[in-house]
Amino acid sequence: MNLILLLVLVVAAGAVLSVQAAINGRLGQTVGVLRSSLVTFSVGTLVTGLLILFFEPAQAVSLLEVPKWQLTGALFGVVYMMVMVGAVPIVGTAVATVAVIVGQLAMGMLIDNFGWMGNTAIELSTSRVLAMLCLALALVFMYRSSTRQAD
Amino acid sequence: MQTSSLEAATQTPARPKHRLGLLLLPLVILAGMGLSVEAGLLGPLGAQVGHLWATLSIFGVGTAILLLLLLFSGPQKGPALNELPRWQLIGGFLGPMYVVVLTLATPHIGIAMTMIAILSGQVGKSVLIDHFGWFGTARKRVNGERWIALLLIVVALVLIARG
Repeated sequence: MNLILLLVLVVAAGAVLSVQAAINGRLGQTVGVLRSSLVTFSVGTLVTGLLILFFEPAQAVSLLEVPKWQLTGALFGVVYMMVMVGAVPIVGTAVATVAVIVGQLAMGMLIDNFGWMGNTAIELSTSRVLAMLCLALALVFMYRSSTRQAD
Repeated sequence: MQTSSLEAATQTPARPKHRLGLLLLPLVILAGMGLSVEAGLLGPLGAQVGHLWATLSIFGVGTAILLLLLLFSGPQKGPALNELPRWQLIGGFLGPMYVVVLTLATPHIGIAMTMIAILSGQVGKSVLIDHFGWFGTARKRVNGERWIALLLIVVALVLIARG
């Protein structure tokens, strides 16, 4: 496949995540955090189910056969969704997005460094630590700019 | 600068909201950390059972938990879901879309490149949404401090690309 086209597609997929955060934040304001998250998760379940039925090749291992701890990811997903729905209307989409990325990268680096949960270990490098610092600083500036021009 | 402090002075009623925002920030960072744990679980799981099945486990278990929470938390305030504008309900389409693109792209352009592209799209779009107040969100314009923040993010992405 064309590499540039793929890259554009991936950037668009990232953009879609922000759109999701904004739409859900708006939805959460009117119907509440629980119902707004449920809409996202149930529609997501149905769409993924349809995609599996029509496009997924048969797999050698099923979800029922993997160790149960590998299925606990949803717990984190639900907490994330509810926190975002609550936070976006208050701090704005950009601040919430950057804060999530800071947490994501920090934890990602820990997971990589120690090879937790069956992932390949990738040692922490200076440039990764510097990147983390830049992002944390970016969050500070982003947050300050938001509070200055709060609605 | 002067105008912004003037604006701030006229908006004293909004102050408690700011403090709430500051309290929320660590919570959002923690939620982001949880997301990495989720990704850390999903990667190896997807390699075994297929990425769509792994995604289904997230959405399926999540739906079940939320449904239970909702059932036992009593009557909800606000309008019924089918009284809302349709576009507010499409959030759930976007998650699976993201997973599909990710599984298509990662083998071709590598994890690091995929991650950087995702983050750029995410940050870029979120700044645009704030700037124009899209999807009914409050407007937060790009100002000097936001430009500095964006510059720092670009530096961070370059650093990540170098490994």
